Amino acid sequence: MSAQVPAVAAETGSIYDIGYRRYDGPRLGRAHAVRSLFWYTLRSAYGIGRGGRAKIAPLTLGFLSCIPAIAIIAAQALIRQFPGGEGLENELPVRYDTYAGSISLFVILFCAAQAPDLFGRDQRYSLLSLYFSRALRRSDYTLARIAGFAVAVFLLHLLPYVLLFLGRVLLATDIVKGVIDDGPLLARAILQSALTAGLLGSLSMAIAAYTPRRAYAVAGIIALFVIPNLVAGIVVALGSDTVGRWLILLSPSAVLDGTNAFLFDTDFSNRFNEGASLLPAWNFLAAAAAGIFAAVVVSVRRFQRITA
Amino acid sequence: MPLISIRGLTKRYGTSVTALDALTVDIEPGIVGLVGSNGAGKSTLIKILLGLLAPTSGEATVFDLDVRTRGTDIRQLVGYMPEHDCLPPDSTATDFVAHLAMMSGLPRTAARERTAEVLRHVGLYEERYRAIGGYSTGMKQRVKLAQALVHDPRLLLLDEPTNGLDPAGRDEMLELVHRTGTTFGMAVIVASHLLGEIERVCTALVAIEAGRLLRSAPLGEFTEATGSLAVEVEEDPAALIDKLTGAGLPAARDGRTILIALDGDRTFDLVRDAVVDLGLSLVRLERRRHRLEDLFRDTVDTAEPTDAAKPTEPATPTEAAR
Repeated sequence: MSAQVPAVAAETGSIYDIGYRRYDGPRLGRAHAVRSLFWYTLRSAYGIGRGGRAKIAPLTLGFLSCIPAIAIIAAQALIRQFPGGEGLENELPVRYDTYAGSISLFVILFCAAQAPDLFGRDQRYSLLSLYFSRALRRSDYTLARIAGFAVAVFLLHLLPYVLLFLGRVLLATDIVKGVIDDGPLLARAILQSALTAGLLGSLSMAIAAYTPRRAYAVAGIIALFVIPNLVAGIVVALGSDTVGRWLILLSPSAVLDGTNAFLFDTDFSNRFNEGASLLPAWNFLAAAAAGIFAAVVVSVRRFQRITA
Repeated sequence: MPLISIRGLTKRYGTSVTALDALTVDIEPGIVGLVGSNGAGKSTLIKILLGLLAPTSGEATVFDLDVRTRGTDIRQLVGYMPEHDCLPPDSTATDFVAHLAMMSGLPRTAARERTAEVLRHVGLYEERYRAIGGYSTGMKQRVKLAQALVHDPRLLLLDEPTNGLDPAGRDEMLELVHRTGTTFGMAVIVASHLLGEIERVCTALVAIEAGRLLRSAPLGEFTEATGSLAVEVEEDPAALIDKLTGAGLPAARDGRTILIALDGDRTFDLVRDAVVDLGLSLVRLERRRHRLEDLFRDTVDTAEPTDAAKPTEPATPTEAAR
């Protein structure tokens, strides 16, 4: 076909029929559709394929969450210039075990900014009838979307740890020893990132599933992560004897503080986090698992019942 | 085996709204018009066939697959163009249609190729790389049709495809539907409340009202039963009316026009002969369709039961949800 035809068509806007062709190629069915939606969701969470403006929030938050890691590596490199500086490295305020706390705000903002774009957008523009009239089931759609977003949060959370790890290993006098020293810490960071992504990702998607309005979803997600945390703070301030200490399990942030303390502190009696010392470690792990399960169930039910 | 078989299908929303009321009909391959006024239950029927809605009672099969249990299998073979807006303004047509092709199970490369082909088929060229938000209504309707065609379905369900289009856009869309349906024999069901539009492209009609079947028949039977013939002659029509009435054709005068109930090809012959016998100058001989409301009244009064279903008196109109 000559290159002229498209231009002509654009001007007149009429329908030219050059014939409809059949498709005889492979049809990969439901599993392929689910995998595709997973990757599509992961890409959309970072604004890929959605135009320039959609990339601003995720990339900014990703950059901000890496700043502490970059700063600490730079500081470490500087300290080593001075005689006797090596001993000071472990006194730096940002370490593997404290990193989660320093970037939790960015992770929450990422959830609040991106989750409503995934579930809310499909409802706002009535896209569900197009998804649900295809090879997917409703539950497939819900699970693929949640999984895609959770992995997006996981990557956001893990990237600064990886930078920290690479920086420390490359700065170490003995690289092999550096890997041996920091490797287990990175493994714990991976687990903590997975828990964070699972809990915060699924909870924000559950809220986003219930409203097509972006503003409501953003407010709901922030409220869920902030208000129970205030309650948890009060409980901690009141002391550990009250029955109300179980209330801190309602706060996703407090639960993740607890798992972080558990993962990075093998001697559980010596915790840096006050809230985490109120309950045994398995409580936090169980609460995280329960939260993920509840969020997934609530989302699946929502899309089973919604009118497409 | 009919393409679609519907037995006693009922859909109620809540307790008061009945969208489909014991509908029974078989639909054969071809381009089938699903006609009915707004709220007659057309969209509800399409959504049940897709498995998007669960029926309250009754059975329906598509390709001999039960819509209740085999929804996923049916949906891989069906393309659906919804009535409402269903396009994201921030995506380009290419990205969105390719994404949906993959949701239908096409591999990535095939999805890209099919998208380019189908968008060209519906008449979108360079603009397919622009965000859909900037499209005109006509272009959006074409994207909606493209997404329904991209996975090369065996059955195409179109819900009001000409919604919001200007007359030229309607003609183009109908022509496109017609060619898509005839070139490769893809079965198409077009829901519309505009009979005049639908009869131009369809091979058969299914008329429903208030969730009940009025009539299901090939298009020819519909127009025979419902059409009338408008005749205009240069001279005074009184003599012609007498002659035709004498020949057993009841004719009514409407200004300068004579309206004759159409009863097959015989009517044309009689009119021609009468005009020749009287030596009149024939100005116009035109087939007239009734408006949809008239069609419904007429079919209820006069239509004979077809093998597919018996026509029923329209129930008290219920306000059917879309």
